[in-house]
Amino acid sequence: MTGIYIHVPFCRTICPYCDFVKRPIKGAAPDAFIHALTREIEAYDGDLDAETIFFGGGTPSLIAPESLATILDVLHRKFRIASDVELTLEANPDDITQDLLDHWKALGVNRVSLGVQSFDDEVLRYLGRRHDADGARRACGLVAASFLNWNMDLMFGPHPVSAYPATLAECASFAPPHVSSYGLTYEAGTPFGKRSHEAIDEDSYLRLYALTAESLRGLDRYEVSNYARSGFECRHNLRYWHNDTYAGFGPAAYSFLDGIRARNHVKLEKYLADPGGKCEALNLTRREIQIETVIQYLRLREGLSTIEYEKRFDSSLRSDFGDVLRALVSRGLLEETVEGFRPTAAGFELNNEIGLALVDAPVR
Amino acid sequence: MATPASHIRNFCIIAHVDHGKSTLADRFLQVTGAVEERKLKEQTLDTMDIERERGITIKSVAVRMNYTAQNGERYVLNLIDTPGHVDFSYEVSRSLAACEGALLLVDAAQGVEAQTLANAYKAIEQNLEIIPVINKIDLPNSDIDSVRRQIEDVVGLDASEAILASGKEGTGAIEALEAVIRKVPPPSGNRETPLRALIFDAKYDAYRGVIIYIRVKEGRIVRGSKVMMMSNGLKYEVAELGTFRPEITPSDSLEAGEVGYLICNIKTLQSTKIGDTVTDANRPAAEALHGYKEPQSVVFCGLYPAVANDFQELRDALERLQLNDASFTFQADTSDALGFGFRLGFLGLLHMEIIQERLEREFNLTLVTTVPNVAYQITKKDGSQFTIENASKMPPPGDIEVIEEPYIEAEIICPTEYLSGVIDLCKKKRGIHVRVDYLDAKRCIAIYQMPLAEIVLDFYDKLKTLSRGYGSLEYHLIGFRPGDLVKLDILLNTEPVDALSSIVHRDRAEWMGRQLASKLRTLIPRQQFEVAIQAAIGSRILVRETVKAVRKNVTAKCYGGDITRKRKLLEKQKEGKRRMKQVGSVEVPQEAFMALLRVGEDADK
Ligand SMILES: Nc1nc2c(ncn2[C@@H]2O[C@H](COP(=O)(O)OP(=O)(O)OP(=O)(O)O)[C@@H](O)[C@H]2O)c(=O)[nH]1
Ligand code: SF4
Ligand SMILES: [Mg+2]
Repeated sequence: MTGIYIHVPFCRTICPYCDFVKRPIKGAAPDAFIHALTREIEAYDGDLDAETIFFGGGTPSLIAPESLATILDVLHRKFRIASDVELTLEANPDDITQDLLDHWKALGVNRVSLGVQSFDDEVLRYLGRRHDADGARRACGLVAASFLNWNMDLMFGPHPVSAYPATLAECASFAPPHVSSYGLTYEAGTPFGKRSHEAIDEDSYLRLYALTAESLRGLDRYEVSNYARSGFECRHNLRYWHNDTYAGFGPAAYSFLDGIRARNHVKLEKYLADPGGKCEALNLTRREIQIETVIQYLRLREGLSTIEYEKRFDSSLRSDFGDVLRALVSRGLLEETVEGFRPTAAGFELNNEIGLALVDAPVR
Repeated sequence: MATPASHIRNFCIIAHVDHGKSTLADRFLQVTGAVEERKLKEQTLDTMDIERERGITIKSVAVRMNYTAQNGERYVLNLIDTPGHVDFSYEVSRSLAACEGALLLVDAAQGVEAQTLANAYKAIEQNLEIIPVINKIDLPNSDIDSVRRQIEDVVGLDASEAILASGKEGTGAIEALEAVIRKVPPPSGNRETPLRALIFDAKYDAYRGVIIYIRVKEGRIVRGSKVMMMSNGLKYEVAELGTFRPEITPSDSLEAGEVGYLICNIKTLQSTKIGDTVTDANRPAAEALHGYKEPQSVVFCGLYPAVANDFQELRDALERLQLNDASFTFQADTSDALGFGFRLGFLGLLHMEIIQERLEREFNLTLVTTVPNVAYQITKKDGSQFTIENASKMPPPGDIEVIEEPYIEAEIICPTEYLSGVIDLCKKKRGIHVRVDYLDAKRCIAIYQMPLAEIVLDFYDKLKTLSRGYGSLEYHLIGFRPGDLVKLDILLNTEPVDALSSIVHRDRAEWMGRQLASKLRTLIPRQQFEVAIQAAIGSRILVRETVKAVRKNVTAKCYGGDITRKRKLLEKQKEGKRRMKQVGSVEVPQEAFMALLRVGEDADK
């Protein structure tokens, strides 16, 4: 069983903080891209059983419904798609119309992830987003009315910081079953990279982080930046955090199949000329996979159970990483449970310290 | 066939650092054809990696050249290229003892500098014929007349026949060799009297064992004969001997007057004493030659493996390095903070840097180095006396009658416009004014007595900065003197860290404590818990600084391929952490143990 990721590398406008692979376009995602994508999917020869499909970007809501139909058609012909598939599509509020949502539903999309970020016009301008607060409200209303399972993306840290509590309150009023709220980072290589002095201090960051969990009543922080009502956790993303396999299609998409982490050509032209061609393919060692698996699981509230680890690697978690994990327990970053290990509140806030301790854990 | 002594010349090139000795030596190798043109590179004789990288000579190098002079006669010229840096001045002394003459190079733009003077005096003391060479005359700002006057007035040598040379362009190289033949006396020793050869250097070779560099003063030495070291009576058979061209080249014998090498199955450098006399075991000489003092370590520092497991590896590395270079000393030492390690002794700061670099590079070790210090002589109230080379070994203040520290006499040559700056600096460094002499209208020499400890820290850099590079320094030890000194301790989370202790003058202790604590605050990274840094003298806390705890370190997004990128990033960060030493619960970076050296930096800016 695997997951399918489709990368749609187009946006109407480019947000200055964003470090995803994308480029601006005027109309819908071009045919050349759709064509290359279908060719790539048709040539795929890995695991054919899929339980999740995720259209990410970029801005997947820029795909014309007919093109989306074509892609899904090819996917259905290629893969055995589970009957209870989770089919997510990321969308920008400006693109949402009732008509479009109806098309999506008809094509089998059953989860929409909406890039709201904020309900404050000043914050949205600071972020250089193309929509405004009213546009976000309108889109949320439509999505909430059409989809049971949907996600609202939020961000904390952009200025004015004081707008965040109101955004959280407004978010709650739409009662999404899933929220992702990310601390804004001033990524090097983006226009924001040169503005890192504007970043909020650690204490404010942690205050807003805590406020997120408090305000989203009924949702649990099941991952560092993700909150869900029970049963609405994103199954596709859980595959990443369980370090499970996935097949990625589209420029810059990663795949993780048979222990090989590979990446498609990043540049669109290269991708179009050679869909499915790799710019990088790492054959990970068993140890590297073990380390990555433990690090990823420990981003999750549920943590990592010894049984799960043993099932996966036919080896004992306590003998592979026991010393390091126990040291992390004594540093207050993990707690040991009957099932295994999971992060504490500090373990979320200092999650990279867990990774740091694990990367060179001595092999026994 | 042996060359008659009348056709041998032994000479060395001496100068202040960077005045162009090794470059001029290249020209000699070229005109005599000693090195094939295609093998010639810049500073051919600087063969160690570190010499080539830093562009300085560290070890003296001997080379033999055949030269047909303008008079048509063939001569054997034994040349020794010497280092100019003050740390390696003992190398110069050794080389001088193997020669009858010296080329004294003076940079035509820089003029006479401190080591010009110091090295010239050494040569004069040993009765060498000195030939002044004004070098780098191709430089646009060269001032030959003024340099000529300086050589006469300051060094006291007749410079009317000084050779005008440019090692870079080759000018004057032949003239210099002709002057050597004309002016430097041939070696005088009698070839028939019992053998006396001076050991002026030794080197370890992985295949041949110890190679001894000798200057045969009297008699002759033949392959297969039995020789004896006069200092300890040990006897060896001569397995191989020969000359430097510049690679070692075997021959059958070496005669009085010649410079060459000996190999006699000696396994360690330690068993060879530089300055010793080699004689014939069957027909020993009555008296040894006049040798020279062993170089003495003046600066000490602690060296610890970053990972405790590497202790044995570090010991092996030190032993191996010492086979090649006996100029530093080491002994095992322990630190509460850093665990098992060593205390090393060096001839100076540059020497220390070089040895550390070689250890890290040639043996691939990650090391933690503590701040360098000098040796102190302690007299306790109970009358006992001893020397400490490590601040943490200092007894409690109440037990101490007196602490004495090494003093040096410094000669600083600089243009007069910088004199007041130099005097201020010397005062700040607890210098005692001896006198200032004017060398000519534009330059002077300031003589100060100063604690060595003050020179060790940052004196030289400061001098260079305030004199825009024109000031130069020469110093020699003059003995120990009492000082009002105290031990300054650093505490991390209230635990004293022995490796961060230092001995400082009482008047500066408080200032230093504050500076050090605030420097450490910038060097110690934030950790999961708050770190308190305190500076203290005895039980008196001078200052407290705090490194705030890290409260947030999290990657907000981690999907798809992000994890592998993240793992690699974490690995890289971890690599950086490996350079940290766990002291109690605190991770301390290597640089922190050197913080004292950097205290002055910001304060004086
Ligand atoms: N313009 C000019 N530069 C020179 C001349 N001779 C040497 N140099 C430069 O001066 C610098 C020092 O030259 P070296 O020959 O290494 O000097 P050195 O006296 O052997 O130095 P140490 O052995 O470290 O004391 C190098 O950058 C040379 O290129 C010269 O005749 N003219
Ligand atoms: S944040 Fe989203 S919409 Fe903005 S540039 Fe990035 S991918 Fe495009
Ligand atoms: Mg040199």
